[in-house]
Amino acid sequence: MKASVSSLYQAVELSQPIPPLLIGERCNTNGSKKFREMLLADDFDGCLQVALDQEAKGAQVLDICTAYAGRDEKADLKRFFTMLIGSVKLPLMIDSTQPDCIAEILKIYPGRCIINSINLEDGGANLHKVCTLAKKYGAAVVALTINKAGMAMTTAEKVETAQQIYDLAVGEHGLRPQDLLFDPLTFTIGSGDESLHDAAIQTLNAITQIKKQMPGVRTLLGVSNISFGLRPAARKVLNSVFLHEAVEAGLDAAIVDTAKVIPLAQIANEDRDVCSDLIYNRQKNADKNALMAFIDYFEEKGDTDDQDESQQDIAAEKLLGQMVLKSNKDGLDDVLTILLGRYKPLDIINTLLVPAMRYVGELFGKGEILLPFVLQSAEVMKKAVAFLEPFMDKADASDKLKVLLATVQGDVHDIGKNLVDIILTNNGYKVYNIGIKVPAETIIEKAKEYDVDIIGLSGLLVKSAIVMQDSMPQYKEAGLKTPILLGGAALTPKFVAESCVPGHAEPVVYCADAFAGLKAVREFEQGKLEPTVFETKTPATARKTTKNVEIDTNVPVPQTPFLGKRIVTDVDPTALYGYVNEQALFRGRWGYRRGKMTAEEYAMLTKDTVIPIYEKLKERGITENLIQPKVTYGYFKCHSKDESVYVQDGETTYEFAFPRQEFAPNLCIADFFKPETNGGDVAGFFVVTIGEKIGQIAKELFEKDAYHDYLMLHGFGVEVTDALAEYWHEQMRIEMGISAQRPDDVTGFVTQQYQGSRYGFGYPACPDLGAHEHVFKLLDPEDIGVTLTENMEMVPEQTTSAIVAHHPQAKYFAV
Amino acid sequence: MKYICINCGYIYDPTLGDPTGGIEPGTAFEDLPEDWTCPLCYVTKDNFDPID
Ligand code: B12
Ligand SMILES: [Zn+2]
Repeated sequence: MKASVSSLYQAVELSQPIPPLLIGERCNTNGSKKFREMLLADDFDGCLQVALDQEAKGAQVLDICTAYAGRDEKADLKRFFTMLIGSVKLPLMIDSTQPDCIAEILKIYPGRCIINSINLEDGGANLHKVCTLAKKYGAAVVALTINKAGMAMTTAEKVETAQQIYDLAVGEHGLRPQDLLFDPLTFTIGSGDESLHDAAIQTLNAITQIKKQMPGVRTLLGVSNISFGLRPAARKVLNSVFLHEAVEAGLDAAIVDTAKVIPLAQIANEDRDVCSDLIYNRQKNADKNALMAFIDYFEEKGDTDDQDESQQDIAAEKLLGQMVLKSNKDGLDDVLTILLGRYKPLDIINTLLVPAMRYVGELFGKGEILLPFVLQSAEVMKKAVAFLEPFMDKADASDKLKVLLATVQGDVHDIGKNLVDIILTNNGYKVYNIGIKVPAETIIEKAKEYDVDIIGLSGLLVKSAIVMQDSMPQYKEAGLKTPILLGGAALTPKFVAESCVPGHAEPVVYCADAFAGLKAVREFEQGKLEPTVFETKTPATARKTTKNVEIDTNVPVPQTPFLGKRIVTDVDPTALYGYVNEQALFRGRWGYRRGKMTAEEYAMLTKDTVIPIYEKLKERGITENLIQPKVTYGYFKCHSKDESVYVQDGETTYEFAFPRQEFAPNLCIADFFKPETNGGDVAGFFVVTIGEKIGQIAKELFEKDAYHDYLMLHGFGVEVTDALAEYWHEQMRIEMGISAQRPDDVTGFVTQQYQGSRYGFGYPACPDLGAHEHVFKLLDPEDIGVTLTENMEMVPEQTTSAIVAHHPQAKYFAV
Repeated sequence: MKYICINCGYIYDPTLGDPTGGIEPGTAFEDLPEDWTCPLCYVTKDNFDPID
């Protein structure tokens, strides 16, 4: 008995005298980028042209799919079919999973069409609806061998699933066997996946057996899946050979790009052999499996690929991973849409996106890629998850591991914590980032409210480390059963192990960076998280240190233009760029390190990627008024006594105490200021800031998930702030008349090739941030918009302070 | 080979060593003790990048 499908104009036999029946695949939002873009642009004339082109190229039926997240599938289908019915002579195939969409088309379709498709994934609910429609309107139906357990992989599974569908469709719904087109699924044999080595054989055998076991039914395949992951030129040949083999096995119809089917006669015998070896998994060469042999063969042949096709021809699964790795967002939604047709959203996240990010993290750990690229990958991940979220059940989101992040009380450092947020969020964890300056009480309250699994605390100040230590017992007493991760510059494994671990009942873990945090969270998941332990290493090898030096106590005291403080608000921002420490910016703040690159590769990266970012920011710094330099500074009479410098401001004397090195040359900052007996001295101070605008914009970037730009802008602000300090220090040397020796370049400034030194409070030679209280009395930084936190940090963030010594022997040293 | 501190830009030049840190001229970067730190900003050896 024959079966045919038809349009208004013509009928086409499902079993062709010369099989297969060719079904054009290009009018499909999931398969053709060109088509999808036209549909999204509402260019239905363009869409129609795609249909007409296929008709011209030999298609006998056209598959039509307009499903696209965010669009009204039914409306699009209806509009497009209305046009097709009048213009295309070929019968059509409705490609939709929605019974109501299918019903809509069946109502208006004048001939007999094919429905693509039914399966048993949901146990049969959808199948019943669609078969009812097929029976009512007399349509043919494509049936995929998918059951509740997923896609059938082996011949046996494929045949069994087909039989189940057959029993329902024919047995219960009364469809005729010849109206069923079974698609036993094609999987790629081009990916190297071990479990798919014989995928082609399984499919080919299933074709033969289905037809034998269920006489009268037809079979159909989407052929091009067979070669996903391979080069386009090689794919064309493999697809055609596979199609031929499938027809030999009994295939009736194939969904193909008709323009690309090469008649077997046009394929060289040798090409054909290599293809069939791969299809039948025949290894002919001892040290090369069939796939390797295939790849090498076509590599050597060197046929050129059609450029425009190469992108969409890669399997969507693979493409998504590559998009994360190569941080490419173009067409991300399209790829996800295709994948949504194959997997549940949560599975896309857990089995495709998270492993891709994990791989990115591993590459970073091995020094193969740099931090800015990791952040760009995280942006792709974030965007993908945001796209998938609306398709997810609430329940899907709630079983993620939950992490609370906060910067501790009195500390305003944001970016370290935010980087941890970025890395954890984009590795599939739920992060509650509750901000900066958060008191322990609030952290405990929020941890309970959100019922988190882990708490992560950040803090860069020495004071913050103490805050962490002191608050550990609070967490314990509050009964929190969560481990605590600690991170930030002032912490060491030793401090955490000895001072924090004992305070809390659960593991307390030191994390050097965001990836150490990720590792800890993974260990927690695996039940392997251990508190930080500190093993005392063998004591540092005693080294020859510099001999004691004599500090000259008779250096002339410079003439300063004034005593007391002054404010300067008209510094030209462009003047600062010459002082920016580009090496520290590029490599340190931004993370564009040389890593494993050769000097040439690194020079290329710097030239092509880093410098353009820098130039752009420099320009924005001016045009968008991002840099608003303000200075308060002054000169004050002073004298030293032992380890202190006594600074005179009118009637008031302020004592600045400094530590002395316990090893030769036993330096102390006080040594660089003359004692009263030698006539005293003069000390300079400054507080400089570039204002808060850059910080605000950086924050907005973080909130917009523009992670890479966030890191770039933040780092830029940091180094411009330091440049302002460097610039102003030079102005003060000029004012004091000690600027004869001027460094040639930024390296010269870094290594202090000038007279005197500036010491920032909180740095090793003057570690007491508490001195800021005096500095604020001397300079009134409030007048330039700078205030102090209870931990002696200055707000805005991009602010820095120092005491300035003119003494020629004054240089940086550690205590 | 010279190495640069990514945090502050200090350059370790083996022909000069690091006198303040007790490192003799002629000491290769690889041979610096593991606990050696940048003489300007005190970060550890892993914060250095090779140059040229
Ligand atoms: C850049 C910088 C600046 C910049 C910008 C500051 C800013 N907030 O943006 C400028 C030049 C303005 C500056 C100024 C000052 N600074 Co400063 N500064 C730094 C520096 C070099 C880097 C900080 C940074 O941005 N790092 C980048 C981020 C991404 O790293 P991170 O925050 O450490 O986070 C990473 C890890 O630590 C970890 N992590 C962090 N938290 C957490 C949490 C968890 C749960 C996990 C798992 C991991 C984790 O993962 C993160 C990502 O990988 C540090 C030294 C250092 N090595 O950290 C000093 C440092 C923080 N500054 C210091 C000081 C003293 C100052 C000043 C007081 C100096 C002065 N007198 O002016 C001022 C104060 C500024 C103010 N507003 O009050 C001291 C603080 C020590 C102290 N005494 O408390 C430090 C530690 C330098 C030092 N070694 O002494 N500073
Ligand atoms: Zn350094």
